[in-house]
Amino acid sequence: MSAVIKDVAQQPQTLVCLRNLNKHYGDFAAVDNISLDIQDGEFLTFLGSSGSGKSTTLSMLAGFETPSSGEILVSGKSLVNVPPHKRDIGMVFQRYSLFPHLSVRDNIAFPLAIRKLAAAERNKRVDAMLKLVQLDQFAHRRPSQLSGGQQQRVAIARALVYEPRILLMDEPLGALDKKLREDLQDELRQLHRRLGITIVYVTHDQEEAMRLSQRIAIFSHGKIVGLGSGYDLYQNPPNAFVASFLGNSNFLRLKAQGNAVATFEGQLLSIRLTAGLQTGQDTLLMIRPEKAQALSVEQAAAQPLQTGWNEVSAKVGEVLFLGESQTCAVLTQGGTAMTVKALSAAGMPLKTGEQVRVRWATADACVYTQWAESDLNKAAGAH
Amino acid sequence: MLLTPNAMSPRLRWGLYSVTGLIALFLLLPIVFIVLLSFGSSQWLVFPPPGWTLKWYQQFFNNPEWMAAAFASLKVAVLTTIFAVALGLPTAFALVRGRFPGRDMLYGIFTLPMIVPLVIIAVAVYALFLKLGYTGTLFSFVVSHVIVALPFTIISIINSLKLFDQSIEDAAVICGASRIQAVFKVTFPGIRPGMVAGALFAFLVSWDEVVLSVMMASPNLQTLPVKMWTTLRQDLTPVIAVASTLLIALSVLVMFIAATLRRRNEARMPS
Repeated sequence: MSAVIKDVAQQPQTLVCLRNLNKHYGDFAAVDNISLDIQDGEFLTFLGSSGSGKSTTLSMLAGFETPSSGEILVSGKSLVNVPPHKRDIGMVFQRYSLFPHLSVRDNIAFPLAIRKLAAAERNKRVDAMLKLVQLDQFAHRRPSQLSGGQQQRVAIARALVYEPRILLMDEPLGALDKKLREDLQDELRQLHRRLGITIVYVTHDQEEAMRLSQRIAIFSHGKIVGLGSGYDLYQNPPNAFVASFLGNSNFLRLKAQGNAVATFEGQLLSIRLTAGLQTGQDTLLMIRPEKAQALSVEQAAAQPLQTGWNEVSAKVGEVLFLGESQTCAVLTQGGTAMTVKALSAAGMPLKTGEQVRVRWATADACVYTQWAESDLNKAAGAH
Repeated sequence: MLLTPNAMSPRLRWGLYSVTGLIALFLLLPIVFIVLLSFGSSQWLVFPPPGWTLKWYQQFFNNPEWMAAAFASLKVAVLTTIFAVALGLPTAFALVRGRFPGRDMLYGIFTLPMIVPLVIIAVAVYALFLKLGYTGTLFSFVVSHVIVALPFTIISIINSLKLFDQSIEDAAVICGASRIQAVFKVTFPGIRPGMVAGALFAFLVSWDEVVLSVMMASPNLQTLPVKMWTTLRQDLTPVIAVASTLLIALSVLVMFIAATLRRRNEARMPS
């Protein structure tokens, strides 16, 4: 009995439910039949390129866009007909969107003033917020007298001061430079941990998504094409699109020869056991550059191939030194381009034009049977 | 090569300076001329004035007809300003935020009074009010002035509304303000420069409007420009120069206020 109760207590509670959500503009489906459960207290990121539907979905959550069809439930209650000012949701916008005619203090106090909170309580809460975002000394300044990072902190304080259960953030750090962005990402993560608030974050920056979120929903053409932790999505992408969208990837075209074997350019390779593969079926193999190794012919001769590993021959195209890591572009005998990445410390003493043996563990390579050609060249982070 | 004053040869630079100076002089001279004449002692508006006096000002302020005209002008201009802003504000919102067919055409219609010759509008409005029996009333003055002032008000509010980031208003809404509250508490303060400029434009348009006013005027209600016009046709008294000077003075004052407000606003919002 107690075991059951404990189990229920540990089960993450669903706070927000999107059910078959659609948003059409004429014939164009900006959001195409999305269903998603957002857990209470989680940090979820909508990641996608512009026009992928992530911002439209956020906008429907906020109430600025009305779904063409579908349901948005918060704690089981429909939000669709609730106007945005009654949703009790906090939001931080890309361009800060502070009230330019009000001081920092009055900006943060605005939601409380609208709610007609007593002055004493209002001041107390605003003071607490100013402290939380470390802007106590700037309380009487105008937004235009603050730096971009400070302005965004005011926006966050303004969104949190009325203690909403959900905080929406629409590319809030997009306008800041890299260093400041990383600082604020750290602050945001700490803030989330301290307050336990549910955050839905929109970005097109995959590194930011990885840094911040517990789960990432990858958007493409109005659909969620991948949902999971950054780790899972990166290590085991559910499809070729996610594989090519997140990080870098090598794609090899194979012909299946059973459930665990396939040919690549006429050579037999072992692949992950995949149910339902037909002999001769076109199959796609995805290997992360850092999961592959490039060995010179002498190294390969000295280190016999371990079981569970594959090896193909290739010729070195270009070796790039990138500081902490090194990449090596190679071309297989059949003309497939691959990239191998290694930490600089590990060393990769290869030269252009040399023969190499590229190796990888069968378990590290993902197998796909369905993909679109356009999925294979999503440059990392590009949009 | 950039044509900045520093990059130019001195000869070209001084050439440009003198041309600019001449143009400024050309534009300012009539004003300087009339202001000087208003203080001149000559009955016949002789230039240069043989001596200096304030007696024309005395005559102006002691003449009930001139004072009535000045007061009427002020009243019409203030009412025109109020109505132009009250009508221009929602119109500008509809034209900027609205998504409906014919929006651009509507914009064209609203700005038409800037292009259509004033005299045509004057005749049309006059014919209408003649039929309705409203000529010579305050109402007819204000309505006709609002017609020509509205495009200026609408355009200046539209410009500032387009510059105003609507996500600031959305932020107020998500903070708990209803759309109307957000507009009043956040958007209006945000577009205040445009509203103030629009109001000042409306005031100025009405303040020195003469074509429509001549049509609308009656013996017991006429604005300052109309009074000047009718007086001019009877005799050439320096009191007209006084009226002109006061007309110009108020206009300059209004423009000065507008410039000050704009500068203060730019200082507040650098981006």
